[in-house]
Amino acid sequence: MAEVRLKDVNKTFGKVVAVKDFNLDIGDGEFIILVGPSGCGKTTTLRSIAGLEEVTAGEIYIGDRLVNDVPPKNRDIAMVFQNYALYPHMNVYKNMSFGLRLRKVPRPEIDKIVRRTADLLGIGELLDRKPKELSGGQRQRVALGRAIVRDPHVFLFDEPLSNLDAKLRITMRAELLDLHQRLKTTAIYVTHDQLEAMTMGDRIVVMNEGLIQQVDTPQKVYDHPINRYVAGFIGSPSMNFLPCTIVKGNGDLYAACKSYKLRIPQDKTKSLRDYIGKEAILGIRPEHIDTKDTITRKYDPESVFQASVWVIEPLGSEKLVHIKSEERILVARLDPHVDLKPGQMAEFIVKTDFIHIFDKETEKTIF
Amino acid sequence: MIKERTKEKLISIGLVSPTVLAIGIFVYGFIGWTIKLSFSDWNTFAKLLKGKFKFVGLSNYIKLLFQDPRFPSDLWNTLFFTILFLLGCVTLGIILALLLDRGLKGSIIFQNIYLFPMAVAFVVTGTAWRWIFAPGISAYPQGINLLFSKLGLDALRWRWFVSIEHIGPFNLALIPVVIAATWQLSGYTMAMCLAGLRGIPSQLIEAAQVDGASGWQVFWGVKFPLLRPIILSAMIILGHISLKIFDLVFSMTGSGPNLAVDVPALYMFETTFERLRYARGAAIAIIMLIMVSFIIIPYLISSMKREAKK
Repeated sequence: MAEVRLKDVNKTFGKVVAVKDFNLDIGDGEFIILVGPSGCGKTTTLRSIAGLEEVTAGEIYIGDRLVNDVPPKNRDIAMVFQNYALYPHMNVYKNMSFGLRLRKVPRPEIDKIVRRTADLLGIGELLDRKPKELSGGQRQRVALGRAIVRDPHVFLFDEPLSNLDAKLRITMRAELLDLHQRLKTTAIYVTHDQLEAMTMGDRIVVMNEGLIQQVDTPQKVYDHPINRYVAGFIGSPSMNFLPCTIVKGNGDLYAACKSYKLRIPQDKTKSLRDYIGKEAILGIRPEHIDTKDTITRKYDPESVFQASVWVIEPLGSEKLVHIKSEERILVARLDPHVDLKPGQMAEFIVKTDFIHIFDKETEKTIF
Repeated sequence: MIKERTKEKLISIGLVSPTVLAIGIFVYGFIGWTIKLSFSDWNTFAKLLKGKFKFVGLSNYIKLLFQDPRFPSDLWNTLFFTILFLLGCVTLGIILALLLDRGLKGSIIFQNIYLFPMAVAFVVTGTAWRWIFAPGISAYPQGINLLFSKLGLDALRWRWFVSIEHIGPFNLALIPVVIAATWQLSGYTMAMCLAGLRGIPSQLIEAAQVDGASGWQVFWGVKFPLLRPIILSAMIILGHISLKIFDLVFSMTGSGPNLAVDVPALYMFETTFERLRYARGAAIAIIMLIMVSFIIIPYLISSMKREAKK
């Protein structure tokens, strides 16, 4: 187990900047997630930590050791690849023991470790099989097992669940978390799936275009996104964005859209003082829109607006209702029993306590 | 519907049958004819002209294998030639492929340079290497010996393919022939291995590196085992060429001094077309066919099984 520290890490491929000024301290035993769309530099960062890419500038420490010039084999890391990368000519046992055999661990010990790990992962019966005789989920477990037997300082995961079907992915997600709770090894996990990031990480690192956008616990990133990009990326369905103008009236501040205006909660007006009369972006998460009929809590009567229902996606546990308002589509996450039909006009309410306002120019969060 | 299918069937039969017929006559028919011939006494032109088939059983084979000193020595030569040639081609091919696989600048040029000798006919290779390895006489060295003597490396001068030195049944004069053949065909193993190496997913290599493997261990632990089927097919292709080798040896050295580089194909050619012992020549041909079958048939069976699995 070890801490991992990245200091001013930069990586360019020719003229393309893949990672820019990446600074991150990962604590011992932490499960950290790098998340972002494809091409955001998350995998490059992970590969740099593994030593599979040489960084253009900056320093990478594993424990106290500067590893910039240390080849992957000496970094004491284990990596799980997206397509598992199992050695096709070796059976499960040999796949799992390969790293230990290279390290000249005595045979009886290898045997003990491999069997114990295989049992832990529920693949004890498969040790004699070749990778091609295994299902996707089983291969995934073997790849995990191969990493675990090594008892490395750091686990690196490169989208390990993305090749699995949806149901299995959820099971494996829980199993990975359980494993981490037992092994307590530092883990760095790359994914493009924000749901995986939310559910698995102690902290998540949201990346875009080679830059870190925000590093924080999943809930903090969700509740307090640092900018419009993070706000839109984390959360599914994603946050609704509307252009608005900040206006003053009756001693209150309002975010005014074309046909309606939302009163800004008193405790947040302070930060908006410089924006009065200026354009901004209003952000509303789908669960913060409700209908007048179903809302149970106290609401601001001024936040009621009329809109027509466009499409309804019933998910069983909830209903995603796409509504048309001011030529824009907003998504609302509603009670599954709400009685709405496409084309219908209805009254919706915004829970103004939870709205966000972003600077129009910098797209930074004002609150 | 049925009509359509019959039509398609007829077309496919029509397209395939000329080839089947031609191969049937000119390959399998003639193999049959040669087998028959090898059991006859047609060992003079006069007997052949009479056209009367006299069955003499295995007499031609027995003479070749047990009473003739030349044929067993040809088999030894073939054995040593094949072993050295395969070893040379495979080792050199793998080394070149590994070097080229590093993707350095200009590797495509070298790839073509190494592959190019394959485009040359064996006769041409033989002739060129005959000039290179022509020993000359001690006062007037030729070819590579001339180079050695100009460089002051007289110790390296050697008789090459006219050498009569031997270690047990292994005639050293085979070495220059092996060099020429390896020069020509190691590019082939290189191309096969290079294709194989490029087909190995990079993540496998990376997984091995992360697992703690050095470059050497990545090769022996991952790359080589994955190349094995490719190397095996290359060895089979080269092996059957080697067992039947004729043109290279014929144009380079002939049978050599004391038959030091004699091979069954040369012997067969000489027996059949120079000494007109048709039946004996046919027997040599059939023995060669059997040798090649030992390599090819298991290969064909295994590859057909693999196809069937797919």
